[in-house]
Amino acid sequence: MNLFEKLFSHQIISRLEHSGTMMITSHERAWLKTMLEHPAAKNAFTPETLMKLQEILEPEQAMDISLHLIQKAGSVERQVVHPLLRPLRRLIMNKSGIRLSYTVKNGEARTDHHGIPYKLEYSMVKREWYLLWYRSRNRALMSTRLAKIHELTEEAVPPAAVEAMRKRMGTLLDSRKNQVLIEVVQLYNEELSRILYAFSSFEKQVEYDAEQDIYRIRVVVFGDEAEYLLSKIRFLGKRVRVIEGDYLKKRMLEAATKALARYQATETESHEEISS
Amino acid sequence: MAKESFDKEIQFLRMLVLTSGAFNRKQFAERLGISVHTFDKTTRKLKEAATSLHASASEEPSKEFADLLHYSYHDSTDPLLLFLFRTKSVKESESERISLLLSAMNEQALTAMELLDLCCDSLPSDLALPDEKTIRSDLKYLEAVGVVKKEPGPRPYKYRIQDDLVRCLSDEELIDLYDFIDIMANTQVPSVQGYLLRDGLKKHLLENPQIAGAVEPEAFLYKYHYYSRILDEAHLFTLLQAIRDHRKVRFEYFSPKSDRSYNSQNTNPLFERNTTSKREITLPLKLVYDHQYGRWYLLSHGRQGIRKYRMEGITQLEEGETVEGVWHEQKKTELTDKLKYSWLIDTGKPIMVRARFYNPGGSEPNFIKERVLLQGQWGQIVDEDDTSFIYEIMVNGTIEIKPWLRSFGSSCEILEPRRFRQEMIAEWKEIQSYYESI
Repeated sequence: MNLFEKLFSHQIISRLEHSGTMMITSHERAWLKTMLEHPAAKNAFTPETLMKLQEILEPEQAMDISLHLIQKAGSVERQVVHPLLRPLRRLIMNKSGIRLSYTVKNGEARTDHHGIPYKLEYSMVKREWYLLWYRSRNRALMSTRLAKIHELTEEAVPPAAVEAMRKRMGTLLDSRKNQVLIEVVQLYNEELSRILYAFSSFEKQVEYDAEQDIYRIRVVVFGDEAEYLLSKIRFLGKRVRVIEGDYLKKRMLEAATKALARYQATETESHEEISS
Repeated sequence: MAKESFDKEIQFLRMLVLTSGAFNRKQFAERLGISVHTFDKTTRKLKEAATSLHASASEEPSKEFADLLHYSYHDSTDPLLLFLFRTKSVKESESERISLLLSAMNEQALTAMELLDLCCDSLPSDLALPDEKTIRSDLKYLEAVGVVKKEPGPRPYKYRIQDDLVRCLSDEELIDLYDFIDIMANTQVPSVQGYLLRDGLKKHLLENPQIAGAVEPEAFLYKYHYYSRILDEAHLFTLLQAIRDHRKVRFEYFSPKSDRSYNSQNTNPLFERNTTSKREITLPLKLVYDHQYGRWYLLSHGRQGIRKYRMEGITQLEEGETVEGVWHEQKKTELTDKLKYSWLIDTGKPIMVRARFYNPGGSEPNFIKERVLLQGQWGQIVDEDDTSFIYEIMVNGTIEIKPWLRSFGSSCEILEPRRFRQEMIAEWKEIQSYYESI
């Protein structure tokens, strides 16, 4: 199939805008049919809708991609669609409030917390869904795993409160933004595209110093993302060096020092075993 | 006529997205091996496509093209690069005619002659009017891509738009469908068709005031998502078709390892100055998606046995001759066997890697073990005590698993093989030296 169909041309698409005409090619239907075979489909639709879709797509041929594609080094796909997505996305759309009971990281229970749902976020690394919500009591941004929610009830909230929350959410998110500057160690400039691919899941800006032939990557990190960025930096090893961002620098030094101490300890132990 | 190639646009966008902001016009053009004039022309063409599709882009016409593509996590989940697949140019008269035909068939089923009359009545008089042959060939094309359907019944045939998918669903069901498409396009591969479908459906939902709120603002976000991977999918379907047809392919390849001088004839997709392209003829066997970098590989059979190519290095892809099916299947099976122990695509000799992972101290949940179970592929935890556990994996070579093990920092200690352990110690020493002065 050609992905560059003339039908997809922006000239045609923009003319059809607002005409109520929906173009669906057989390849798009084949893709959908293939995706409906994924176990996630059962949580995404009511049984009636799923059946209806399968009937509509019955004459289509599913893609045979699983025969030819291999996926490597991904996380185990624990969850693609969580059953709470359907009710929660409607609560967000209807600008409702919520009352939640859930468990936090250390296993403690939280009961009947009031708030306003903001967005549903999927982590490609953990392969899990999270609810981003605003907790009214302490006016804080919360992130709760859907798997940890025991009870969810809708609550009426004045529309003005939802508007105010959305505005505040923007500020809250921005206030958690930090910047880190990472340098590509010049010896590894040849691996630039690989290194940039590794950072391509972050909000970032690249700077190039033509005189010295040095690349620097300015990465935007949100509050809770530092750990993931650190794992990426360790993943790339000698190829990159943090040059601005005291916390990350400290953590990298700590990791290297502690790792070397561990190796040293085991070596000493085994020497002692041999000599005893 | 030669098939229109979008290589330049693909390389251009990839470089723009990955190196966002790093180069000025001249540097950018130089690295891609194109002239500044071509750079400007390509920018104009892409910008035109982007602005006609993204309302936000057209609101700020003076905004730099690179800024239009700047990725901002909380702002939007629309796949910014999708417009690449919208850049095919169509003649003014053709785009006018096809969109007219489509919207006519949206309201009712019509015959070719009825459509011709309609065109003659509705098209602006300064455009050349189509004849019956043109309308019939348009219908043939639209039917072939599956957008319109011939109604059952006697001649003359009537055609109508094939949109059962949206017409048969209630508003509530449309929301569920939109969500499902959004989730699957963002979390599964391949994704381009899903994104195209999502885009069409989103526009459709926005027209309906009852449910427009479902898509604007978006309810879902995807974290740590390699959104530029959709550029690499541009070649995916040509290669898939070649595998199905037992067909060889020809392309110009830029190897990241090559160190020969720069070749300005071609677009350099890797934008590393010292690479040059090589003409390749090869028989595709499998396509591999690497979740660690969000990249695609082509694995194939060539004169020296198994060949491996990074998808982003492939340009000027063309189909070649076919080979015998049974033999092709046999090569595919041989490759699959060799990939059994590949962390990614290494087909070297398998060895046993053993590593000790240290649990986080205190009352914290054991996120180390959780991550090993989640990402450790077919490796096994073979021994465990209060403070640590031993992970074992049979793997082809240590090069590909090394970054993953290193990403655990001091929570992972490599035990075997011995040489691998020494390598890791040397690396930590070097990394330590980067930060010692702080």
